[in-house]
Amino acid sequence: MVIGIIAAMKKTNPSFLNGVPELLVLRLLARREMYGYQIVEEIQTRTGEALTFGEGCIYPYLHYLEAEKQVSSRRQEVEGRNRNYYKLTARGRKRLEALTTEWNRVTTGVSLLMEEQQHA
Amino acid sequence: MPDFVEPLRRRLVELGCPMAQVRRLSREVADHRDDLKQAAVSEGLSGAEAEARANAHLGDPLVLAEQLMVALRRSSWWGRHSVVAFGLLPLLVYPILWALLLLLQMALGFALDYGWNWKKLHMAVNNPVTFHHLITVFQFMDYAAIALVTLLFCWLARRSAVRLKWMAISCTICSVAAVLTWAKIEPHSFFMGFTFNGQLHMPWSRGAIPILVAGAMYIFQRRTMRRFREKIAA
Repeated sequence: MVIGIIAAMKKTNPSFLNGVPELLVLRLLARREMYGYQIVEEIQTRTGEALTFGEGCIYPYLHYLEAEKQVSSRRQEVEGRNRNYYKLTARGRKRLEALTTEWNRVTTGVSLLMEEQQHA
Repeated sequence: MPDFVEPLRRRLVELGCPMAQVRRLSREVADHRDDLKQAAVSEGLSGAEAEARANAHLGDPLVLAEQLMVALRRSSWWGRHSVVAFGLLPLLVYPILWALLLLLQMALGFALDYGWNWKKLHMAVNNPVTFHHLITVFQFMDYAAIALVTLLFCWLARRSAVRLKWMAISCTICSVAAVLTWAKIEPHSFFMGFTFNGQLHMPWSRGAIPILVAGAMYIFQRRTMRRFREKIAA
């Protein structure tokens, strides 16, 4: 019964990260280990500044992903600077695959509809 | 140049952010600020200009602390659905958890004191003096079960960084539920129930326990904030 309630909670109340921000962060971390500032900068530059991630949300997002065991972190000193580096876990990789599939399905559907409207 | 991280840290504590999160968030924001400064210096700006640019980019530390808290609250189911989690759930969960904890304590007490030996227990129950001791222990177990359920909701409220009012609401609901539930032992019998007779001889002392737990949690939070302020001042 408890498992059923928890499953229902997840189903009816999807995670606040369910969507684009989660996909972007996981996608970036799939390539290499990164720290918060790098993630913010990469999202901004690689999306042509179309998307920006504020400092007010990136760290709670990363902590959430870590609590969900989708990413792991470690404190490391590089060139005399200490930073928290995040990397994708096996669970995070699976989640990324699922999100990518879902994203492709949605964007294909939206594109079809947009094309249809343009032809009409 | 005014300090950026200390006001941020202080505001996070004031907003009820768990201390482990305060330490981690402020450390990461400080790292982030250093990276912003470094990027500005590499563009040819002086140290003071770089610092000013980093501070301008991050904005007001108090606003940033509030943004961090909003994101932190939204990161858990408990934080996103405070009304259900701390307003309705205690009403449903309290009787079940309280009964389970009470039974668990009784089983543990039985195992430790009598080694699952029913004969020994019967002897203790039949003796008025030892039975009086049993009632005292049982009452303590009942109060402990009430306090533990309340503490669970307080812990969840603190962990999900929701506003203090939600902790107070869940404690009040636990208090009402504690007044309405009851447990009693008599020689060779044990009763548990849920009742409301609207009379003055309701078990008000049981209802006071969650309020005391809430008070203790509030004092603990105030002390944490005061210690933190003292640490900054020192």
